[in-house]
This record gives sequence, structure tokens and C-alpha cells, in this order.
Amino acid sequence: MNWRRFFHRDEGDAEQSDELDFYVDATTEEYIARGMGPTEARAAARRMLGNTTRIREEVYRMNTLVLVESLIRDVRHAVRMIRTKPGFSVAALLSLALGIGANIAIFSVLNAVLIRPLPYPGSDALVGVFNRLAIQGQVFEDAELSPSMYAAGKESAKAFESFGVWIPGAATVTGTGDPEQLVTVTATQGVLPTLGVSAYIGRWFSNEDDTPSSPQTVILSYGYWQRKFGGDREALGRTMVIDFVPHQVIGVMPRNFRLVNFAPDLLLPQRFARSGLTPDELSYTGIARLKPGVTIAMANQDLTRVWESWAESNGAGKMLSMLQIRPNLRPLKKDVVGDVGSVLSVLMGALGLVLLLVCANVANLVLVRAQSRRQEFAIRAALGAGWGRIARELLVESLTLGVVGGSLGVALAYLGLRLLVTQGPAALPRLEEISIDGTTLVFALLCSLGASLLFGLGAVLRSGIPGRMQSARGATQGTQQLRAQNALVIAQVALAFVLLVASGLMIRSFFALRAVTPGFTHSEWIQTVRIAIPEALIPDSERVIRMQSEILSRLSVIPGVTAAGFASGLPMESEYRNGVLIDVEGKTSVDQMSPNRAVKRISPGLLAAQGTRLVAGRDFTWDDVLGHRGVALVSENMARENWGEPASAIGKRIRQRGKDSPWLEVVGVAENVRADGVNLPAPAMVYFRAGGRGATFAIRSERAGTEAFLREVAAAIHAVNPGLPLAKVRTLNDVYRRSMARTSFTLVLLGIAGAMALILAVVGVYGVLAYAVGQRRREVSIRLALGAEPRALTWLFVRKGLTLNFAGGMIGLLLAGGLSRWISALLFGVAPLDPLTYIVSGTLIGVAALAASYIPARKAASVDPMETLRGE
Amino acid sequence: MPKRHSPLQSEMVQGTLDMLILQTLILGAAHGQTIAHAIERGSEEVLQVEHGSLYPALHRLKNRGWIAAFWGTSENNRKARYYRLTPEGKRQLVAQTSRWEQLVRAIGRILKPVKEAEG
Repeated sequence: MNWRRFFHRDEGDAEQSDELDFYVDATTEEYIARGMGPTEARAAARRMLGNTTRIREEVYRMNTLVLVESLIRDVRHAVRMIRTKPGFSVAALLSLALGIGANIAIFSVLNAVLIRPLPYPGSDALVGVFNRLAIQGQVFEDAELSPSMYAAGKESAKAFESFGVWIPGAATVTGTGDPEQLVTVTATQGVLPTLGVSAYIGRWFSNEDDTPSSPQTVILSYGYWQRKFGGDREALGRTMVIDFVPHQVIGVMPRNFRLVNFAPDLLLPQRFARSGLTPDELSYTGIARLKPGVTIAMANQDLTRVWESWAESNGAGKMLSMLQIRPNLRPLKKDVVGDVGSVLSVLMGALGLVLLLVCANVANLVLVRAQSRRQEFAIRAALGAGWGRIARELLVESLTLGVVGGSLGVALAYLGLRLLVTQGPAALPRLEEISIDGTTLVFALLCSLGASLLFGLGAVLRSGIPGRMQSARGATQGTQQLRAQNALVIAQVALAFVLLVASGLMIRSFFALRAVTPGFTHSEWIQTVRIAIPEALIPDSERVIRMQSEILSRLSVIPGVTAAGFASGLPMESEYRNGVLIDVEGKTSVDQMSPNRAVKRISPGLLAAQGTRLVAGRDFTWDDVLGHRGVALVSENMARENWGEPASAIGKRIRQRGKDSPWLEVVGVAENVRADGVNLPAPAMVYFRAGGRGATFAIRSERAGTEAFLREVAAAIHAVNPGLPLAKVRTLNDVYRRSMARTSFTLVLLGIAGAMALILAVVGVYGVLAYAVGQRRREVSIRLALGAEPRALTWLFVRKGLTLNFAGGMIGLLLAGGLSRWISALLFGVAPLDPLTYIVSGTLIGVAALAASYIPARKAASVDPMETLRGE
Repeated sequence: MPKRHSPLQSEMVQGTLDMLILQTLILGAAHGQTIAHAIERGSEEVLQVEHGSLYPALHRLKNRGWIAAFWGTSENNRKARYYRLTPEGKRQLVAQTSRWEQLVRAIGRILKPVKEAEG
């Protein structure tokens, strides 16, 4: 086919017309020359040429593509139909736009988060390096690395092309203007080469930058560079005072650079001392690029070997076997995306159901309209229009509706996504990457076409089937027409029921989560700062605890602070989990394996700072800590498990497994703390007195989280020692909210889907009943004229509505029961078959349907029989 | 497309009109009107052509690339569309002419005995 000719077919026709004119003129002249009169000659020339229109048509047809041409005509016709029926079109287009738009929006999220590769070159080879370990039989998959593990891995792992560790933190910049608190990531030299993102200007960290004795350096984010230096390239080589230490600027990262899920203002080099890598706590996130051809399983094996030799040289063999530490590599994408996949697939499913509902609704509208156009079709069929012709026209009309609705949907999705990105829900990673791209547009097109075929075919089958078009007059509705509409209403009610149940279950989960007593109070008032005191700074471990105690007393006097303490890890700081085998005097025997318990080392005052109640006994005192007294605290569930009552735990003795470890007397019992997340049960916990180089400080104040407060905290800590790096500066609420984020995000979106479904179903029920009432006006009038009670007539229609609803509800019940297993992973504290949710959802739909059927039914009963019958 | 019937096509063997057009153009470029009159005169007015049906044929030949069209000025100084033979058209003409001659000879051989029987 010649497309050039096709697009120039009108031009070609004009030329053909000219050519024919020329023929007539030339021939006329010839005839005149032979002696004819001018008029006669022209007529003769015309006769000689024949029918010019037919010639032009024939040539035109050679130039055109018949199918395309008629398709264009059908689309024009469809657009005209859409324009001339505004009521119908607005209803159909609006519901299509909403249904398709919602699907496009959630698909763009899915696409950005799950489908698209990470924004790093060769991102398939990137892995997060973690450990798997077991505490109390519970397996944790994402324990991080210790500095000495990093050193061992860097030296002898063979599977990695490059490897590094990093840790998020915070730093105060002073010197220019007001002191400013910034988000930092401290990373070893290997991290940036692993990601493969070159510096925008300047360079990455070198091995020298990692060495403690060399001058301090810093890499800026693009945003901070713009803000602070106005994008001046001369910023390279300048010196910034960060945490009271001068740092030389060596580079600027490109715009939009993110380190896994962090967008730090500053990148600082992680400088581990060459020897004595303590505190050796598992707090550093590992990242590596696998050598080509190396699989994750192979790398795990390689690293297991490295860990074993590390344990041997380091004397950590006991810890390795006790916690069953194994390397656990996983694709970096999993680190970035987390477990949001199940949420997104549930949402996608829910919105798919909404789109089905929309299709059912539009199909209904199209059906009703096809019904009213039956006469037109019959007449056209009688005049010789083929069935295919009419069917094609209906389909093209549906497709036009679908495509226009879909385009509106894309616009809606765009707006919706803008809103979503500005809201920035914590549950969504890779938020800044969300956009409507080619894949999304293809999806949108498929959605539109699929939806239009779905409802278009319905209309074709109802009104275009050959032999169905004999009835040009008296086109009354058949039972089949009604049956189709009834089926659609039933389907709508069923789908709406499913979605209502889903959102109901999420609401119940949300409230169940909110109702949980997590073991701490007002998490938004708890400011946290992680401080690890390096051995290079303070070699003597006795001085470490004194320094921590000094920091604590300085923090306690900051205005507005009501309590402060520190611990080896705060609730939900999963990276500082620890587990130890605990013997209980008189309960565990030597030859039996004693259970592995969650263990925290806490300072006096920490429980108060957290808001954790003491159920029995007392808190630690500084005398306990500094005097190395053999005392311990246990959690309430630990006490109940071993001694029945919390109070009877006091005075009992426990110890760390091992013959030479001393017995510790239980002096207090603390309330249970949901240390692994609000949605997980509180582990049985043992509290040892403070000790160790790494500690998270918890500072309770209503000013927590404000910049001024953070500055005062940083100043207090740096007054003790300016060389202390601050990490994990956040409020406990940030951590707490993250554990709720997934539920609340799902709740909001499922809630929207449920509300949309309910509205669509109500509109559907109303539409069908109103139409049925309209169709049966005559019958109703006759009944009324013959003396039927108006109330009985109202009941007739309401009953019809209720019957349809009941049928829909029953199907919905079965569907919801079957599908709810799918959502069960997202639920908390509520069964997938929670009766209350089902009953409430059913009632809601029932009431809505009753209202939707009552209005048209009332209208039917208030018909004036005389007027209707006269009008016939 | 059965509905379409131009006199030339329905009364003459398919492709004959094309051949006649190509034959006419071998003498040089010409516009539609000249071609129409040339065919009519050349056949000693045996082929009564509705001249209009020539134009779709010209268009078809042009699409096949056997002839080319260009705008020129006619004898009486008017803009007219001229057609000329392309090398491909020349090849086609030779091929079709020989095929046509074979056909005529074959038909001639079949028709001869009938005439003798009548005579």
C-alpha cells in the first residue's frame, strides 16, 4: 500500500479534475475547429469523455485504503454521537477516566518500583551484603556487617568486583552562617565504585581518604552544592567545618543521586582504624558488585569461607555459632524495594476490579443506548446495511469512547501521581522515579482497548446480531435485554462487595495496629542518636562507659529534656538486635540447650526515656553500672514464662550460657516491648547493664526532631569529644511510623478503591432500575388505572433491586472469601474471614442498593396513568 | 469490483487498453486527450472508446511505474499532464505485444474451420 498516495489523495483528485477539464477544453476546441457551435462542441466533448465523477471516484479509490478510509469515517461518526449525547457521554467518559486513570497511576508506581531496573549502570550485578542470624529461634535475614567483617571481606572475598559498607548519619556544619544539621552517609571507598555513579565534578573517595591519619574529605550532593555554593565549580578544594573538624570538598555527586534509599546531603569517608576494629557491632550495610558470571549462591559460599576464617582470627567463633551467622546476599533491588511488592500487587488487583466495575457500568449505558437505537439499526438494515457494518460502527464507537476515556485517565493519573509524589508516603521506595513512561502508556492503551472491547462487544451482541433487527416498530425490550442488564448489576454488586471487604479488613488492621501497646510511649518525643566510640579514640573500655555517662548527663540538662538513657539498641532498631543463650537458675540444665533470648544492654533511665513501665522491682542504677554489679532486668513475658508472676522473678538468677559466666540477680521486670516492629509479637527479653562501645541514646523531649534541638544535642555530645560521629539521628516515631506505613498506605488506596466501587455499584443499580421503570411505564399505568396500590408497585421495583443485590452479594461473598487469602499477608490482628467486616460490608451495600432502587421505584408509582396512556 | 464496468474493459480483452496506451506513447510523450484520440483514430474508429475510461487506466499504469507523468504546456499553451513511457513500460510493451500476437494467432487458428464450414 502506498501511504504517500493515501495522504495525498485529495491533491491527486484535484489534479485528476484538472486533467479532465483539460480534456473537455481541448476536445471542444477541436470540435469548434471542425465547425461546431461552442455550446454544442462542449456538450459533445463531455459526452465523449463520459461520467467524470465516476472516473474521479475510480482513480480516488485506487489511491485510498478502503479500510482506513471507512474507519476514519466511523470514528468521525462516533465522535459526533458522543458529542450529541452529552449526558450519556459524560457519564461513560468520567467513569472510564476514573477507572483507567486509577489503574494507570498504580501501574506507574508498580513500574517504577518493581519493573524498572535501579538507576545504576549494570544494576543486575549489585547486591546488598547482609547476615542471616537466629535469635530465640526467630530468623532475621537482614543483620548488617561489622567493621572487621568488612575488612575480612575486602581482603579475601573473591566473588566481588568491588565491595564497601556504609551507614546513614547526621552532621552539623558550622562556619558559614547558622550551624546546619545535615543528613549524611558515611561510606567506605568501595561504595561509590560499586554503584558506578561517577561524581558530577571532582572525584570519589580514595583509599587514602579512608585512612584515619589523612586529612578529612567530603563529597557534596548536587542539591547541597547548589544551595550552599550556588553551583560554583571552585567549591572543589574548599574546606567545610563538619562536626567541628575541617573537611576538604573533593567532589559533587550528580543530581538525583541516591544511595539505595538515602539521599544524603554529604558523603563522608568511613575511616576504620587499621587495627583493633572495635566496637565491632553489626551496624554497617554492605554493598557489592559481583564479578561477571558469579551468582548470589556462589558469592554466599565464598563469603561463608571468609566469615569462618574471620571468626578464627578474630576469636568471634562463639558469636558466629551461637547466632548461627551466615552471609545472606540479595539483589540490591530487594534492599531498595523492600516488601512493598505484595502491597502493590494487591492494589493493582483491587483497581483491576474497579476497572471491571467501570466496564460493567459503561456496558450498561451502551446497552441502554443501543436499545434506544434499535429502530435506527433496523431501518438501516432494511436499507441494506450489512450486519458487519453496524457491528463495526458500534465497536468503533466503543473504542472511541474507550480511547478518549483512557486519555482523560492518563491526565488524571498524571495529576494523581504528582499528588502522590508530593505526599511522599514512607511506604513507597523509589518515589522520585515514578513517572508516566512508554511502558505505562502502552499499558494505558491496552487498558482502554481492553475495556472498550469488553463493553463494545456487549453492545454488538445485544443489538447487532443478524436476524435480531426485524423490529423497526414497536421495539420493546425483550427478556434477554433485561437478563443482560441484570447480570451486569449482579456482577457490579459482587465486585463492590469484594472491594468493600478488602478495605474493611485494612481498616480493622489499621485500628488493631494502633491499639497495640508497643512498650514505649509518645515515640515522636524520643530523639535518637547513635554514637559508637572508636577504640582509636578511647582505648580503655572503662573510660568508654564514663564518657557515655558524661554525654548522658550533658544531654539530660538540655532544656525540655525529661528523661534520657542509652541502650545497645532501641525498639525496632533491627540492626542492633542481639541474642544470647540464657540459663535460668533451676530451670535450664547444663546438658540441655538453653533458649536464645533477645538481649539489650541499657543504661539507667533508658526505660523512663522510652516510656517503658517497670512492672516489678527497680531500674538499674549508676552504682550497678560502674560497680559491675551482677544484676539484670527481664521483660514481663520472660518473667511469666519462667516464674509465673512478674513479682516472683525478683531475686531469681539468670546468666549467660557458659560455666564461667557469673549469675545475675533479676532486680526488675519491665513491660513487654515490641522490639521487632509493632506488627510482630514482643520477644522475651533480657536487659543487661550498659556496656560496649556502640549505643543509641534516647532523649525524651517534646522538642525532639526540631533543628534547634538537634543542634543542642550535637553541641552537648561534641562538648564531650568533638571527634564523635553521630549516626541514625531521628525520632523513634520515624521508626515506628515506618512499621505502620505499609498498612496505612494500603488502607488509603484500598479505601479509595472501595469507595469508588460502592459509588459505581450504586450508580449501576440506579441506572438499571430507572431504565426498567421507564420501559415499563405503560404497564405500570395500566396497573394503576386498574386500581393497583402505588405502594405495591413501589415494592415491585424495590424487590427487583433487592433481589439483584442479594444475588450479587452472595456471589461477592464467595469471591471475597476466596480472594481474602491473597490479602492476608497485609492484615494484622484480624482474620481474612472476619465476620464483622463481612456483615458491615454487606449491610452497607444493602442499604446503598435499597436507596438506589427506592428512588426510581417511587417515580414509577407516582406515574399519572392517564397522561402516560394518552401519550402512547 | 464487479460494479465498475468501462466499455473498453468489458468489451476488450483485459490488458488491451494498457497495451494500446503504451503503444501510443512509444512515439513520444502525450497528454490524455491526444492518447484517446490517437487510439480511436489508430483503430480506424473500430474501437469506440468512452474516453473517460482512459484516465483510470493511465493512473494504474503510472502506479505500476510503466509510464511517468509530468506537467507540461499543450499546443494551445495550457497546462496539461503529459505521460511518457518508462524503460520498464517499454519492456512490458514488447512482452505484451508478443503475447498478444500469440493469442491472436491461436484464436485465428481456432476460428478458421468455422468460417470454411459456413462458406
